[in-house]
Amino acid sequence: MNSPFILLFVAVPAIVALVNLFLPVLLRKLLNLLSSLFLLYSMIDVFFISKSAELLRGDFGAITIWGQEIFSVDQMSLFTLFFIQILAVIILIYSLKGVQADAQKSFYALFPLTIAACNGVILSDHAISFVVFWGLSGMTLFLFALLGRTKESPATAVKTILIMGGTDALLVMGLALMWVLQGQASWALSALNTPVTDGLSWLAFFLVLSAAFAKAGGFPLHTWLPDFSRDAQVESAALLPASLDKLLGIYLLARIVTTWFTISFILNLILMTLGAITVITAVMMAMNQHNGRRLLGYHAVSQVGYMILGIGSGNPVAFAGGLFHMINNTIYKSNLFLTLGSVEKQTGTNELDDLGGLARNMPITFIMALVGALSISGIPPFNGFFSKWMIYQGVLETAKTAAPGYQLWILVCLILAIFGSALTLASFMKFLHAIYLGKRPEKLKDIKETSANQWIATGALAVLCLIFGLAAVAVPLKIFIYPAMANAGLELPAFSGLYQPILLLALFLIIFALGMIIYVITKNVRPDEIYLGGMAPLEKFRIVGTAFYNEIRNMRGLKGVYDAADKQAFDAYAVGEKSSLALSRLFQKAHPGLLQLYVLFIVIGVVVFLIVL
Amino acid sequence: MMLPLFIIIPLIAAFLITLIAGKKDVWGIVLSVVASAAMLILAVISFLNVNGETIIYEMGNWKMPFGIALVLDSLSGYMLIIVNLVALTAIIYSIQYIRHLGQDFKYYALFMLMLTGMNGVILTGDIFNLYVFMEIALFAAFALVAYGCRAEEYEAAFKYAVMGSVSSIFILIGIGVLYSATSTLTMARIAQTVPNLSPQIILWVGGLFLAGFGLKAAAMPFHAWLPDAHSSAPAPISSMLSGVLIKVLGIYTITRIFFNVLDAPAVFLTIFIVIGTISILISGFLAIIQWDFKRLLAYSSISQIGYILLGIGLATPLGILGAVFHLFNHAIFKSLLFYDAGSVELALGTRDLQKLGKLGKLLPVTSGTSIIASLAISGIPPFNGFFSKLIIIIAAIAAGQPVLALLAILGSILTLAAVMKIQCYGLRQDVDVEPREKIGLGMNIAMISLAIICIVGGLLVAPGIREVALDPVVNVILEKAEYVQTVLGR
Repeated sequence: MNSPFILLFVAVPAIVALVNLFLPVLLRKLLNLLSSLFLLYSMIDVFFISKSAELLRGDFGAITIWGQEIFSVDQMSLFTLFFIQILAVIILIYSLKGVQADAQKSFYALFPLTIAACNGVILSDHAISFVVFWGLSGMTLFLFALLGRTKESPATAVKTILIMGGTDALLVMGLALMWVLQGQASWALSALNTPVTDGLSWLAFFLVLSAAFAKAGGFPLHTWLPDFSRDAQVESAALLPASLDKLLGIYLLARIVTTWFTISFILNLILMTLGAITVITAVMMAMNQHNGRRLLGYHAVSQVGYMILGIGSGNPVAFAGGLFHMINNTIYKSNLFLTLGSVEKQTGTNELDDLGGLARNMPITFIMALVGALSISGIPPFNGFFSKWMIYQGVLETAKTAAPGYQLWILVCLILAIFGSALTLASFMKFLHAIYLGKRPEKLKDIKETSANQWIATGALAVLCLIFGLAAVAVPLKIFIYPAMANAGLELPAFSGLYQPILLLALFLIIFALGMIIYVITKNVRPDEIYLGGMAPLEKFRIVGTAFYNEIRNMRGLKGVYDAADKQAFDAYAVGEKSSLALSRLFQKAHPGLLQLYVLFIVIGVVVFLIVL
Repeated sequence: MMLPLFIIIPLIAAFLITLIAGKKDVWGIVLSVVASAAMLILAVISFLNVNGETIIYEMGNWKMPFGIALVLDSLSGYMLIIVNLVALTAIIYSIQYIRHLGQDFKYYALFMLMLTGMNGVILTGDIFNLYVFMEIALFAAFALVAYGCRAEEYEAAFKYAVMGSVSSIFILIGIGVLYSATSTLTMARIAQTVPNLSPQIILWVGGLFLAGFGLKAAAMPFHAWLPDAHSSAPAPISSMLSGVLIKVLGIYTITRIFFNVLDAPAVFLTIFIVIGTISILISGFLAIIQWDFKRLLAYSSISQIGYILLGIGLATPLGILGAVFHLFNHAIFKSLLFYDAGSVELALGTRDLQKLGKLGKLLPVTSGTSIIASLAISGIPPFNGFFSKLIIIIAAIAAGQPVLALLAILGSILTLAAVMKIQCYGLRQDVDVEPREKIGLGMNIAMISLAIICIVGGLLVAPGIREVALDPVVNVILEKAEYVQTVLGR
C-alpha cells in the first residue's frame, strides 16, 4: 500500500507553520487547531475506525523521494505518532488562551513546525532525513527557549542548542559509522543491524545513544532540561521536554536496542546503571528545588531513568514497561506542567515559596494536579504504577538469569529505582503542599479558577491517567505496545493477566479505610491557634512546603554533594565550558598582536613545510 | 566572448567612478550596483553555459604559450557566482553603512578594483597573471581595511600588508622556480611538464605555494593577520574578505594549482588535512573567548576554512563535494554574520558583546537573520551549513578517518558555542541599550536575501540539482588531468 497518507503528517503541519508566518493570531490558532484535529482524527481512524493498523504488521506504505525511500511506518512509529497527535491537540487546546501576549505570534508558528519535525523523525526511514528532522526538532526547542521571558532565557536557549546541536552531530557520525560498518550499502534505517563487537561499533553505539539521552534527558546529558523547564513558556515546557522529546528520545532508544544494534549483556548493564543513576540523582535534586517548574524538570529527568532502565534491561516485560512508562510520563508530566502553568498564570509566580493554599481557589486545577502527582509517584490505580511495576518485574527477571556478581549489581540498580519512586512521592507531597495546601498567603486570597480551555486540557490528561491505569492491559498494552514489540521481533510478555486493577483498588481503599479508623480511634490531639513567642504568627512565619526536606539538604555527607551540585560541578555542560575556556586562554596568550611574532609563525610554518617535504 | 567582461566591467567601473563621481557617492553607488549585478547575471549564465565543459579565451588573440588565456570551467564559474553574489549584496549593504564613514566615491572604486582582482584570479590560465591579479585584489583590500581611518584600522591594514607581502614573496619565488624548470607560465603547460620534473622541485615549489596561498586562505599557522584585518575593516568589506577573498586567493588557488597543475601529490593532501584540522580546533577555541563581535567571527572563519581544507585533503569525491559546497555556504552565512555585526555596530555603536542586548526588539531583522546564520554556520538542520558539514564528516568516516570526523564534530560544537555566545548576550533583556540609528532598507535587503539563501541553500545537494550545480565543480578538481587536456588539446 503506497499512499501519500503518511506524508500528510509532515506536510500539513509544515505548511501550516509556513502559512502561519503571515496570518493574524486568531487565524493562526484556528489553522493550528484544524490541522492538529485532522491529524489526530487520521490516527484514530487508523487505530480504531478503519483499523488499517491491524492490516499492516509490516510496511504501511512508504514515501519515496528522489529514488530514496524517505518515510515509512511500522507499528512502533505508528503508536508513537498517535501519541504525538494526542498531546499536540491537548496542549494546543490549553494554549488557545493565555499564551504570553508578546510571544503569541511566534508560538503559533513554532508549534506546527515542532509537530512536523517530530512526526518527521518518527516516520523517517532514511538516515539523512532522520537527522534532519531530529536536528530540526532540536532547533524548535531552541527557538521556544528564546521565547522565554526570564533573565536567564537566552543562556538557557544557548545551553539547549549546544547540547542538542552537539549530540545531533554525534548522531550523524554514529549513523555514518554504522553505514560504513555495513559496507556503505544503504541509508535505510530499517536495514541497520550492527552487532556491537569491536571498537568502532562501540563508538557508533554510544554516539547514537548520546543523541537519544540528550533528547530524552538521560544522565549525564540532561542538564538543559531543568533550565528549559524554568525559563521557557510553560506550554512549550509541557510540549517538548515533558512529552514530545520524551517520545522522540525513547523511541530512538528503543530502536537502538531492538533493531539498530545487537547489543551484549555488558551494554544492557551499562544502560541499566545509567538509568538508575538518572532516577536517583535527578529525584534527589528535585526534592530541594524551590522553583516549581525546575522541580518538575528534574522529575522529567528522573522518570526517563525508569524508561532507560526498562528498555535497556533487554527483558521483554521491562521493555514493554519502558515504552508504557514513556506514554504515561508524557501524559502525567504534561498534566503537571500545565496545571502549574495555570497556577502561574493566575498568580504570576512559580516560586513554591510564594504559593500555598490554592486548593480552595482553584479546586479543579488542584484535582487534576493531584491525579498527575499520584500517577507520577506510582500510586495505583493510576497509570504510573503499572508501568513502573512492569519495569521492576522485568528487571528482576533479568537479574534472575544473570551471573551472581551481575545479579547484585542489577539488584542495586533496582533498589535505587524503587527508592527513587518513594522519593518522588515525597517530593510531590512537597509540591502539592507548597502550592495547593498549607496556609494561603494573604495576597493570594482573590485568585480565581483558571479558564475552561486550560482545565479541559488538564482534565483530558487526568482522565487518560486513570484510563491507562485501570485498563492498562486492554488499552495501551494490547493496542499499542504489544503490536510494536511483535513488529520489532520481541516475544510478548506472558504474565500481564495478573494485573487486576479493581482488586488492587479495593485493597488500596481497604488499607486507606483502616488507616482512617486507626486515626479516629487513636486521635488524641487538641487543635489550637498557633502562637509564636506568645503572639499570633506573622505572614512570614508561614510554613512553606519547600522547607520539608531541608533536613536532607543539610544532612552530613549529602550537604557537600548538594553544594557542589549548586555550583554546577556535575553539569557536563558547565564543566565542558570551563575547561574549554581554560584551553582558549592558553591559545589566546599566543596571539598578543605583535607583528614580529606573527611573521615568525609564518617563517616557522615555511621551515616546517620545507623540512617535511 | 563573455570571459574578459568579468575583468573589464569592474575595471572600467572603477575608473569611471573616480572620473565622474565628483564629491558625491551617488555615481559610485549606481555604477557599482549595475556592474556587480551585471556580473552576477553573467556569472550565472556562463556557469550554466559551461555545463561541465571548458571555455577558453585568448587575450589579444595571441596563441597560448605566447599570450595569456582566460579559462572558464565549472570550478571558475562556480567561484564567479559566489564572488559576485556576495559582492552585489555587499554593495547594497554599503550604501547606508559607508555613508556613516563619510560620503566618498573612493570606497566604490576600491571595491571594484578588488573585484577585478578576484575575478581575474579566478579566470586566468597564466600563473604570473594570477599573481598580478592577486596583488591587485590584495592592495585594494589593504586600503579598504584601513578605510575607517582610525588607529586600529591602520594597524590592522599595516599588519595585513606586511604579512601579505611576505607570503606574496613566497609565491613569487615559487613561480620563479617553476618558470626556470618548465620555461612556461601557462598553467596548463606547466601541468603538462610536471610529470617530467624532479619530485623534489614539485615538493619545494608546493611548500612555497602552500605557505603563500595558505596565508591568503588564513590557514593556521598563517592566520594571524586575519582577526585584526577582518574585525577592523568596514562590515561589508569584512564580509567580502571573510566570505570570498580568502577563498578566491587561498582555497581556489590552492585547489587549482595543487590539483590541476601539480597533480595533488599525496604528501600535500596530508598537509591539507593536518593544517585543516589544526585550524578547525585551535581557532574554534580562540573564537569562543572573544568579546569583539567581528573578531569572534574572524576566528570562526579560520575554523571554517579548516573544514574546506579538510574536505579537499581527503580528496575523495565526497570530501571534495563537501568542501566545494561548504565554500559556497560559508561565503553566504559568514557574510551575513558580518552584515549583522555591522548593523549592530551601526545601530548601537559597539561591537563589544558585553554591551549588547535587546537585539530581538531593537533590530528584529538583524537578530532574526543572525540567528539563522548562526544555526547555519554551526550545522543545524535544515540550513545549508548542516549539509556541507554532514558531507565532510561522512567523507572523513568513509575514508577511514573516524578520528578526524570526531575532531571536526568537536570543532562544530565549538563553532556553535562561539556564535551562540553572540545570541546569548545579544538577546539579553535586562540591559540598557539605546539605538542610535535606524537600519535602512538596503541593509535589511542584503541581510534577508542571504538569510533566504541559508534556508534554501541546502537544496543544492538534492539529487537533480546537485548534478548541475556541484558535481561538475567536483569533477574539475577530481579529474586533475582533464584540465590540461581541455585547455591545450583543442
